[in-house]
Amino acid sequence: MSVLLDISSFTLDYATRTGMVRVLENITLAIQAGEVLGLVGESGSGKSTLAYAIMRDLPANAHERGGSICFAGEELTRLRARNIRALRGARIAMVFQDPTAALNPTLTLGSQIAETLIRHRLLTREAAWRESESLLRRVDIADPQAMMHRYPHEASGGEKQRVAIATAFACQPELIIFDEPTSALDVITGARILELFGRLRAETGVAALFISHDLALVSRIGDRVAVLERGRVVETKPADTVFISPTEPYTRALVAAVPRPSRRLVHDDDAPGEAKVVQLLDISVRYGRPSFFRRRQTLGASQVNLDICEKEILGIVGESGSGKSTLGRAMTGLAAFEGEIRLRGRRLTGPGQMDRSYRHAVQIVFQHPDASLNPRQRVADILARPLALFGGAAAEIPRLLEQVRLPPSYARRYPHQLSGGEKQRVAIARAFAAKPALVVCDEVTASLDVSVQAQVIALLLALRAEHGTAYAFISHDLNLVRQIAHRIAVMRRGRLVDLRAAASIAGPDAHAYTRELTAACPVPVGEETSQ
Amino acid sequence: MTTGWLIRRCLFVLYTMLIVSIVVFAITQILPADAAVTLLGENATPAALAALRARLHLDDPAWLQYWHWLSALALGDFGTSMRTGQAVGPVMFLALTRSLVLALCAIALMLLIAVPLGISAAVRRGGPIDLLAGVVSYLGVSLPEFVTGTVLLIIFADRLHWLPATGYVPLTDDAVEGVRHLVLPVLTVSLILIAHVSRMTRSEMIDVLHAEYVRAARLKGLSASQVLLRHALRNALLPVITIVALDIGYVLGGIIVVEEIFALPGIGRALIVAIETRDLPAIQAGALIMAGTYALANFLADIAYAVLDKRIRYE
Amino acid sequence: MSDFTYRLLRTPQGVLGAAILVALGIVCTIGPAIAPADPEAMNVLGRFKPPGAQFLLGSDDFGRDMLSRLLVGARGTIPLALGATLLGTLAGAVIGTLSAYLGGRWDEAIMRTTDAVLAVPGLLLALLVANTLGKGSFNAMLAIAVAFAPGMARVTRSVALTVRRQDYVSAAIARGEGVAWVVFREMLPNVAAPVVVETTIRVAFAVMLFATLSFLGLGAQPPASEWGLMVAQARAFIHQAPWMIIAPGAAIALAAIGFNLFGDGLRDALNPRDAR
Repeated sequence: MSVLLDISSFTLDYATRTGMVRVLENITLAIQAGEVLGLVGESGSGKSTLAYAIMRDLPANAHERGGSICFAGEELTRLRARNIRALRGARIAMVFQDPTAALNPTLTLGSQIAETLIRHRLLTREAAWRESESLLRRVDIADPQAMMHRYPHEASGGEKQRVAIATAFACQPELIIFDEPTSALDVITGARILELFGRLRAETGVAALFISHDLALVSRIGDRVAVLERGRVVETKPADTVFISPTEPYTRALVAAVPRPSRRLVHDDDAPGEAKVVQLLDISVRYGRPSFFRRRQTLGASQVNLDICEKEILGIVGESGSGKSTLGRAMTGLAAFEGEIRLRGRRLTGPGQMDRSYRHAVQIVFQHPDASLNPRQRVADILARPLALFGGAAAEIPRLLEQVRLPPSYARRYPHQLSGGEKQRVAIARAFAAKPALVVCDEVTASLDVSVQAQVIALLLALRAEHGTAYAFISHDLNLVRQIAHRIAVMRRGRLVDLRAAASIAGPDAHAYTRELTAACPVPVGEETSQ
Repeated sequence: MTTGWLIRRCLFVLYTMLIVSIVVFAITQILPADAAVTLLGENATPAALAALRARLHLDDPAWLQYWHWLSALALGDFGTSMRTGQAVGPVMFLALTRSLVLALCAIALMLLIAVPLGISAAVRRGGPIDLLAGVVSYLGVSLPEFVTGTVLLIIFADRLHWLPATGYVPLTDDAVEGVRHLVLPVLTVSLILIAHVSRMTRSEMIDVLHAEYVRAARLKGLSASQVLLRHALRNALLPVITIVALDIGYVLGGIIVVEEIFALPGIGRALIVAIETRDLPAIQAGALIMAGTYALANFLADIAYAVLDKRIRYE
Repeated sequence: MSDFTYRLLRTPQGVLGAAILVALGIVCTIGPAIAPADPEAMNVLGRFKPPGAQFLLGSDDFGRDMLSRLLVGARGTIPLALGATLLGTLAGAVIGTLSAYLGGRWDEAIMRTTDAVLAVPGLLLALLVANTLGKGSFNAMLAIAVAFAPGMARVTRSVALTVRRQDYVSAAIARGEGVAWVVFREMLPNVAAPVVVETTIRVAFAVMLFATLSFLGLGAQPPASEWGLMVAQARAFIHQAPWMIIAPGAAIALAAIGFNLFGDGLRDALNPRDAR
């Protein structure tokens, strides 16, 4: 097997306002013909920069400091612009993370595939159009002829990514770079895309560089896995051993942080109590503001019945649009609902009835760290308010910060001076200032790196152990939820389709959709044996 | 673009014109000079004054006067000028056509200069063209028309004698002279437009050039010109339509000043004369026609945008 | 506060804009005191003198010193433009915030009506209002305020809606905070910043609009020394004394540029995200 892509001691700096920043250091990687190399890194690791360095699409402030990138014997760093253009799309293609952003909204999908064919294989417009249609058929698009004439906004996320893959395969490249191709898609759609890639790879024997932050996913897709940390390649191992026997400390920490259903973080002796904290009875939520012209309102959640016991962690999972966040908002009075909510037996039929004592007992933490803290308030102000409302004192702020593992000096800081993980900790501290009985966690770790996620989860579990709080843990990551939840509720299109103990979620008697979801969540290599 | 959407837009334009008519009527009727006295003079007999008041409905309550005015308007009757005694409508519409020539020339010139300027500034950011565009836009946005117009007048008409200072020659009579008289007014009006639109075009273009789909197109191996023309421009020019539509409001305001400086008999000038002579029907008609032109221009821009942007289905 | 000033002065626009505004502020307060000559002093022999040793910016048709007239005229233009903008912003902010808060049908009705009023071009609206209220600087100021209000209502509403959607507002509501707290303590500080930037840039426009109204005869009346009025009066003497027009014209442009630059600098300084 010959070496297709040979990167050797490649080093890159970016010139920023604060000076030179080293983004890639001494990168040495190789991809054989027909091989799939997974590249794993967290945010800031430089993985996308490496992809653009290979494609020779670096910004003006990038300075290459040395090393070589050799593709099929040709040295890319010394290639002229004309030859680079001939290479792109024809011999090296790229599939991007967000299919909606990567397609021109004012051109038809068909024309965006065809233009590659016209450019590189010099086909006529009619021939390119026909060829594009057959490509669409090959990527399992239902009605290829209709899809050719559609615009991006008329296709779903999964369909658009298939179009992008069809475009990438169009000129039969030798190497395809995939930059987080499933991160912007739902779990099940993403799994289908990966199946498609597997099939096409077997058919064409194309080599691939598969970039992702998800180690579990990459270990299933790739032949080998390279781990990137802050611009350096930490280690490169065959995919089936990287999980079982990681060598370097960083890889070990990464592997430890990846959610694995077999590794329960909540122990059985820490069981939930008998009494019910919150009960949802026939809850429905409608969306859409009434206006002069729009009459229709969509149903965010429909006839949901749930209850959460003392100290319980209830996981609520589903894909986007399933209504899981809607439930969280209804529980905290942020969305008007029909039906009844009971707090320790007390009945409430609308957000208007949620008084101070309800708010004291039920709190919420949001997904996006940037949006959940008021940018014009210091941390001390943000925490002082709930303390004042719910019977605490400003003197408790240092203790609160300590509880979330932040130094007391952070009280003087503004949110923009904190990292994403630190902001989430402040948001959690804010919720716990009230010493609530239930905290709704709405995708609280979805925007964080996997190692930061592990720290935040550990923090949440420690707080629960100390205060006896129950959690409504909303997430799209089933593996994560299986690690911590006692029971799991599965939502689909606003309806509750399954509710069972976490241990039996992968069992044969689960709902069909649950089984589909479980199958779609990538479980790390070596996991099945330990289940 | 569905028929439902079209109907809703039309309704909105009608609603707009209704509100505009109320605004114009209300503003001008709040403290009316005694129109009867203005028309007949201080020495008119009480009987004659009373007769005129009755004929012009001046003693009716405000809403009734408005209703009379509105219903006459619906039939095409814009009222009679208190200064000349002639019907106001035809005079104003004729003046409007002259102003439209000026406006359309200014917009055409603006599009020819501002759009390429904005695009070049964005494509070669930080380069000399970008700097030039920046300076032009700051100056253009900070110089009122009466300053620009007067300065141009001083330079080209007074000192260099290249172009006539004031006056108007219909293009149908003498094309060359007509154009010579239009050059300075058109330049004055265009300057602010060029400044504004080039700045907006530049910022739209910069946003588009950073978009993911432009990068994706580039990484498909398309040539630089293909990426720019086929992918970037199509998306950057769309919002420019909206901005141009908004700027028509500036144009109409600027026309008032420019026609005053260069003595062009357009609707702006007619409005100023009406204001100076307190000719109420003329003021109302002129203001209504100007606002109506603006509302119509915005409506046309909305349609153009909807036709071109595949993403707008319905509001 | 010092952190903010530091950020403001880091950009070239901020520095330049601030410098111009400070200069304008000084002229407005002590203008008459630093004027080299009495702006009202007429000098028959010194008519139409070009800029030179005696008259730094030339003299006008009455032999008055242009520079002195300019320095005094700042008081006639800038504070009134400022006042007009503040009034218009206040009115617009109330309408816009109310509309955003009410939401639903009320919001739609208010906004459609605002859009309809915006269909009347700004200068035209100001002209009509000024015409009705009567000639004079104060009335011109009110007219401009009326012309600005709908635009500012739109801006305030759109900013308020964006802020309303942020999670920290939801967090406050989930805490059970009342309307007053949410609007004043959570929303307003974040709405204020973009609105202040927009207001500053509008002052530039108000300066030009006020001068235009005076030029057309509806703003300041003679013998006031307002810059737009000075241009209008100088029109008859373009041939003999072009400096009579250029001086006040340049002054107007400088003021407008100053506010524009300062507004741009403010925008960069007030955005905490860009601090990194």
